[in-house]
Formats: sequence, C-alpha cells, structure tokens
Amino acid sequence: MHVVVIGLGGFVGAVARYAVDGWVSTAMRGSFPWGTLAVNASGSLLIGLLFALSTERAVIPAELRGPLMIGFVGAYTTFSTLALESWRLIEDGAWVPAIANLGGSVLLGIVAVVAGIAIGRAI
Amino acid sequence: MKLDGRALLVRIYIGESDTWRGKPLYQAIVERMRELHIAGATVLRGIEGFGAHAHLHTTRLLRLSEDLPILIEIVDAEERLRAVLPELDEMVDDGLITLERVEVFAYRGPAGAGDGDGDAGGTEGMRATGEGGESAAHRRTDE
Repeated sequence: MHVVVIGLGGFVGAVARYAVDGWVSTAMRGSFPWGTLAVNASGSLLIGLLFALSTERAVIPAELRGPLMIGFVGAYTTFSTLALESWRLIEDGAWVPAIANLGGSVLLGIVAVVAGIAIGRAI
Repeated sequence: MKLDGRALLVRIYIGESDTWRGKPLYQAIVERMRELHIAGATVLRGIEGFGAHAHLHTTRLLRLSEDLPILIEIVDAEERLRAVLPELDEMVDDGLITLERVEVFAYRGPAGAGDGDGDAGGTEGMRATGEGGESAAHRRTDE
C-alpha cells in the first residue's frame, strides 16, 4: 500500500514535469534545454524544503516522506533527460552549452537544495 | 507530584512508523503515561540507527530515511514504573526497552503552575506537546 502511494506521487510528479517542462520549453527560444533545468532546479529546492520539514522538523508526517520525496520529486526531476539533452548538444557540436547544462544543472541543484533546507528550517 | 532522589529511567527504542491501534506508537505511549500520571516522558527522534532486524535507517540516504528511530524516555519512582512495564511490554512489539536507576537532582516547573487541563487536584505530572517533535515539560505544583 505504501508502494502504491509512492507510485501515486510519481504519477503526479511526472505529469507535473510534463506540464512545467512543456511550458518553459515553449516559452523560451533556442535549443538550450531550459525546461529540464527548470524542473531539476525547482525540484531540488522542493526536496530540500521537504527534507527539512519532514525529517528534521516533523511538520510533515513520516509516512508522507516517501510519496513526496521519492515519488513526487523523484518523478518531477529527471537525470536521464539531462543526460540525453546534454549528449544531443555535444552531438550537434555545441560543447559550451553542453558543459554549461551539465555543470550548471549540478551547481544549481546543490544551491537549490541548500536554499530549500534553509527555508524549511526557518519557517 | 514530588520526584526526588532515586528514580527509574525507562528508555524505549522504536521506529517512527510503529503504530498502536491506529495511532503512532510513540504518541500512544506518551498519552498512556500521561493518563497514568507518570512524572514525565520525552520523545526524541534519531537520525540514524539499526535494531533487531539489522536494517539501517538513516537521513543520509533518502531510500533508507523512512522509519527513523524514536527514543522515548520515561522517568518516575521505581515502583510506579515497574507497575507500568507489563503494559509497555505489550505495546512494544518491535524495539528495545531498557531500565536504568537514576538520581533526580531537580524536577520542577514554573512556580504556581497549573494549567487546568483536567488533572484531578490540580496536580501536573507532565504535558505532551503536539506532533512536531513531541516533548514533555516537567511540572510540579506546590503541594
């Protein structure tokens, strides 16, 4: 049953990613994968926030930890798409954007997690 | 309630997701101790640990961060706690219960405390706060 609830979180997360990535990608011009960057950064912020609220502070109950963090955020963010889109940039000879995407995604992700945790501890 | 000198400390190690009749076990234990006017109980959340099943739970890895360890510390006079042990034994299916003799150096609350939560004779044993990190304030009214 717990696994089913995690799966439901995943369902909502994947659909949310589809929506957000779609919205950002159509709003931005060019071929840089802004949509993936947006979901990965916002997802990292959210997971940091959820970590602080559910694990450090017990504001969110323990049984929702898995469904929210592993299910929803896990499906909302995407590593595979990051890898694929970075490779496509390399294939097209766009080395600088590829490295910027890879490095930037990781850096932005860490910064976002730290920010999320800080917010979770402060509110 | 006076608590002074020699007392017993009961430590109960369980998991966050352990339940008792539909509610979290740690909450059920604290509520029951309070009903029985035990001197005090405190619930602490651990960030890492393992027990009889040798499953590691840790906040360092998300997949293993479910069911974190919970420690409940209960202090009162030895006779009172020993009387409660069989009930605790029944409630804790899966965990560790240890007993220690302690010496109470101080057990007090703010002077004139009594917050009218229905305890008979205005005696305050302890108060459990809500979900977010249960803790108990130890109080003693002037007898």
